[in-house]
Amino acid sequence: MPSHPLRVAVVCSSNQNRSMEAHNILSKRGFDVRSFGTGSHVKLPGPAPDKPNVYDFKTTYEQMYNDLVRKDKELYTQNGILHMLDRNKRIKSKPERFQNCKDKFDLVITCEERVYDQVLEDLSSREQETLQPVHVINVDIQDNHEEATLGAFLICELCQCIQHTDDMENEIDELLQELEEKSNRPFLHSVCFY
Amino acid sequence: MDRSPEEGETSHMIDMTTSEKVVDLLNQAALIPTDEKLAVLKQVQELIINKDPSLLDNFLDEMIAFQTDKSIEVKKFVIGFIEEACKRDNELLLRLIANLNMLLKDESVNVVKKAILTLTQLYKVTLQWLLRAKGASDMQEACWDMVTQMKEDVLAQLDSENDGVRTHAIKFTEALIISLSARTSDSDIPKRQEGDISLDKVPKDHPYIRYDVLCEEGKSALEKMLKFMVHPAISSINLTTALGSLASIARQRPMFMSEVVQSFETLHANLPPTLAKSQVSSVRKNLKLHLVAVLKHPCSLEYQGQISTLLLDLGMPQSEITRSTPVVREQRKRPR
Repeated sequence: MPSHPLRVAVVCSSNQNRSMEAHNILSKRGFDVRSFGTGSHVKLPGPAPDKPNVYDFKTTYEQMYNDLVRKDKELYTQNGILHMLDRNKRIKSKPERFQNCKDKFDLVITCEERVYDQVLEDLSSREQETLQPVHVINVDIQDNHEEATLGAFLICELCQCIQHTDDMENEIDELLQELEEKSNRPFLHSVCFY
Repeated sequence: MDRSPEEGETSHMIDMTTSEKVVDLLNQAALIPTDEKLAVLKQVQELIINKDPSLLDNFLDEMIAFQTDKSIEVKKFVIGFIEEACKRDNELLLRLIANLNMLLKDESVNVVKKAILTLTQLYKVTLQWLLRAKGASDMQEACWDMVTQMKEDVLAQLDSENDGVRTHAIKFTEALIISLSARTSDSDIPKRQEGDISLDKVPKDHPYIRYDVLCEEGKSALEKMLKFMVHPAISSINLTTALGSLASIARQRPMFMSEVVQSFETLHANLPPTLAKSQVSSVRKNLKLHLVAVLKHPCSLEYQGQISTLLLDLGMPQSEITRSTPVVREQRKRPR
């Protein structure tokens, strides 16, 4: 076991579906977890693919919920968005942007390659101070409810495996390769320094 | 002595002086489980380093005694305390560097890694302090000898059997190369490191810190790093770390840009055969990220052809490469 509980961040684009699903499961399993989005705005599906609902990161899940109820309660009940927002507001009040968070993590898990790139770019643009390493791992998850659930279980398995290593940094390479094979998904993996 | 009532957490502490409070906390710390012990020791650290540094000397031995604690977290805390104490009062290096040396050889890799991080900070602090110190004492010289030996020990850890220790040794080597080479007008220095020591600030007539020796040590550290990166069995994580370190060295010490670009080129053509497919993708992504960082530096002019070719090979569109390339005219305006 590592000498302290892993500090984990899960990151997707809007901090609504994939990262929140994983946040939910990981916190139920006792992890020290936070979740983030890397987008410039928070986007939720709208009445048509080219008409998303766009919010800034200051808007609470509650406000989004009320906004969508007002706009078209039936549509957003049917497509599960209200259910998701209801779940999210029980976890925390509003989405958070990764780039604005100065807290330190041991492990950052991203849910798509573009998000991984943004996380790496942000972390490597920060001035290094303590040189404490942070491992960044990408697990590709499609942005829908089913895949978010499956992806969250995979992220949870990954975190549990890492938490149970005697020496995370010495074993992480091998562990990721084993899990890659088992889950049949490629992981991107990098290390940055605070 | 401070007696402000709001600082006492419990009623019996209200009338205690800071010194009494520290004694009380240290007594508690000896008897309680690790989690609580850490919280208590952190309070002591706050009191004797930030609130009333005049107490630091008094309680130093009591704090350092915790380095033999069974808990890895407590040992790591002591290392952090050594760093803070020495930064607060450089003179303490004379007393504490031997403790750090001992912790650098601890049986737990987590303790060793923390000790490497702290030496990364304290190496430059020691150099800067000794250069500034008036006169030279035997104790100071012995302290420098020990730090120099510890530096060698950490460089040797580039060959450690433990991957995480190697990662930490790379970061140490990066900082060492920066300290032991000259800052120039083209150096791109992170704000936080503006006050740091560098070779150009080392006088050539110091009684025991030899400019030419430091200069050679810096070059040899760079050679070690370059050699480390072409090791056929290097892990993808250490490759990533070394790429980042070399890019940072190129930006802070453009005189090494040629070696760095050359090493990136070699790596691109000969990725270690031990890497899995997804690791190759990760390394290529990092190579791209760090090449762009080097390209953006005004001194990249000479290497722009090489870097662009590499970036095109790595799948970056020409338009994006052009966007990251500094304009030549701006470069000529820069003072030399």
